[in-house]
Amino acid sequence: MTVSLIAAQFLSGLTTAMFLFLIASGLSLVFGVMRVLNFAHGSFYMIGAYMTWQVMQWLQPAGASFWLAALAAGATVALLGGVVERLLLRHLYGQEELYQLLFTYALVLILGDAAKYIWGTGQLSVHRPPVLDGGFHLLGTTLPFYNLFIMLVGPAIAIGGGLLLSRSSAGRLLRAAAYDREMLGALGGNVGMLYTGMFVVSSFLAGLAGALITPIVSVVPGMDVQVIVQAFIVVVIGGLGSFWGTFWGAVIYGLTLSFGILAFPEFSLFSVFALMAVVLMVRPWGLFGRPIR
Amino acid sequence: MRFRHILAATVFGFVLPVAALAKEPIKIGFPIPLSGPTAVYGVPVLKGAELAVADINAAGGVLGRKLVLLSRDSKANPAEAVRLARELIVRNGVEFLAGTLTSAEAPAVSTIAKENHIVFVAPSAKTYELTDPQSIHPYIFRAASNTTIEGQAGAIVMARWKDVKTVATIAPDYAYGHDAIAAFVAKLKQLRPDITIVDQQWPRLGQSNFTPFITAQMSKHPDAVYCDEFAGDFISFVKQAAPLGYFKAIHNRLADGGEVGSVDETIALGSSFPLGIWTDTYDPVVWDGPNQPPAEIAFDKKVEKELHTKYGSSWAIQGYVTIESIADGIRKAGTVNDAAVAKAMLGMTYQTPLGPRTFSATNHDADAGEYWGKMVKVAAYPFAVIKDPTYYNPEPAAH
Repeated sequence: MTVSLIAAQFLSGLTTAMFLFLIASGLSLVFGVMRVLNFAHGSFYMIGAYMTWQVMQWLQPAGASFWLAALAAGATVALLGGVVERLLLRHLYGQEELYQLLFTYALVLILGDAAKYIWGTGQLSVHRPPVLDGGFHLLGTTLPFYNLFIMLVGPAIAIGGGLLLSRSSAGRLLRAAAYDREMLGALGGNVGMLYTGMFVVSSFLAGLAGALITPIVSVVPGMDVQVIVQAFIVVVIGGLGSFWGTFWGAVIYGLTLSFGILAFPEFSLFSVFALMAVVLMVRPWGLFGRPIR
Repeated sequence: MRFRHILAATVFGFVLPVAALAKEPIKIGFPIPLSGPTAVYGVPVLKGAELAVADINAAGGVLGRKLVLLSRDSKANPAEAVRLARELIVRNGVEFLAGTLTSAEAPAVSTIAKENHIVFVAPSAKTYELTDPQSIHPYIFRAASNTTIEGQAGAIVMARWKDVKTVATIAPDYAYGHDAIAAFVAKLKQLRPDITIVDQQWPRLGQSNFTPFITAQMSKHPDAVYCDEFAGDFISFVKQAAPLGYFKAIHNRLADGGEVGSVDETIALGSSFPLGIWTDTYDPVVWDGPNQPPAEIAFDKKVEKELHTKYGSSWAIQGYVTIESIADGIRKAGTVNDAAVAKAMLGMTYQTPLGPRTFSATNHDADAGEYWGKMVKVAAYPFAVIKDPTYYNPEPAAH
């Protein structure tokens, strides 16, 4: 193993990790903190990706702006998330998790078919923003500017989300609501608005993740289901309820994958699932979570 | 008494239904993915099959009977494809089966064809396993190319790059990828014993994250790469590999056997397509060079009209030739009896818009190669096109 090989795998592991964290961060809020089993988080991510492509198409004649498209995609998905929460999901709070799972899974199918109806089954592709074309050399390997950008966005969201949860009054109320929803309501907290607000934030993060990943992947039907399991793995490894746990869960996932490939090239995902099995055996509540009474 | 029963059974069981069926259409069951990621190819393959049915019926049908296609969404799921195939046979009474897209579905449906003695023609599944000595039976036929032809053609392309001494491979981690890479490596070792394989990567199918696989491969410094990534996976692979300097490092000496020269793929990638690589497709649709068969031009026009897209699809041809082969089998047998049709199809040559194809009498595979060439940019199109598409089967066809 040379320095350049270690550097290359380390950087690609971090890239993997930060893309995964973008998706998992919203899930961490909804599933980890609010304890709502939102299986449709991957679908929101997919809609974000399709919307980015769509807005780029609309803007094409005037010179497409990727950044505008990404924000528009995030906002659209945030709106969608708000509507879903207000009209549908809120009836399922306090019910068994199985109902949430069934409901959000139905949503996965509906949104998947809707996307297919609107955008067809073809594979779509969005170009990298020209500003971030190219890359620079580092320790014998190349780091594309776009990957570097994502490596900065990831920690920014982690810090922002972490502060929101630990320092803001909304964050405190949210943690209280996750602990005992009825008690918070009895004490005069507006639990309904709080949940809607958090769901909107989570959906925005999902839409933004979908937008930001479009320059490096193809936008295809099925990208929703493909990513949701990985996002759940990251949230679970990191520990339910811990936003920073999700961040470190993603980092561990990414690095395990990229170095696992060197050790077992024939079993690329083996190392990741082995890691999850070990974590769940040793600390069922996740690396940074706290055991539930 | 007994004799009369047998007689009655014979009359009612054979003579009457045949008489009644004489004007009934011939039913062909067609399970194929119409939802999920692989619907990208399932839809155009089905369109091609529908076009073939329309063309044949317009010309009077087969044995005086019209053809009718019963298509179902298999969701690219082998269990679902099997369930649909059974249902089509039992409930809908289809006389023939065609369709399925992936190398997972086709072998599964093939077992149903074997059980029920129904002819089944696979339009696109390439895995060697479909017709290998353990799995073959009288009723299975393949209109697609196969992993052996594909891997060998890739090796022939690569063997011509004289200064290449080290080669790496990257392919999806399932039957198709492993079979194609095995065929490629075996043929390359035979053609160029001086070449060593320095790295092999196996990302999962549908993997959106290729970056760690790409950097691991680059660290082995291969001179050239043989790749079997296709569809959306190839797009993700390219978008992550290009900024890492992957194509520059191998001087674009990459051969891909996953039909990424298809217009479906080149249009999606647009100006991001890595120019200079070699790849293949069943039907180039846009030909940069001579040799375009006139029947193919007419066919592609029809596909464009049917799919409401400017450049149609490179996959529709596979659905079309599949139905044509069944129709020709029925004509040759002079009956819709599956055993007779299966027998007639052995060694049968049938016409396609891209020239004649023949089913091997031993392994039931069509001698279907693909068009290979270098990907270039020409002014007339906003996407990459294959330069001088040449038919490889697996050797390049002389013209």
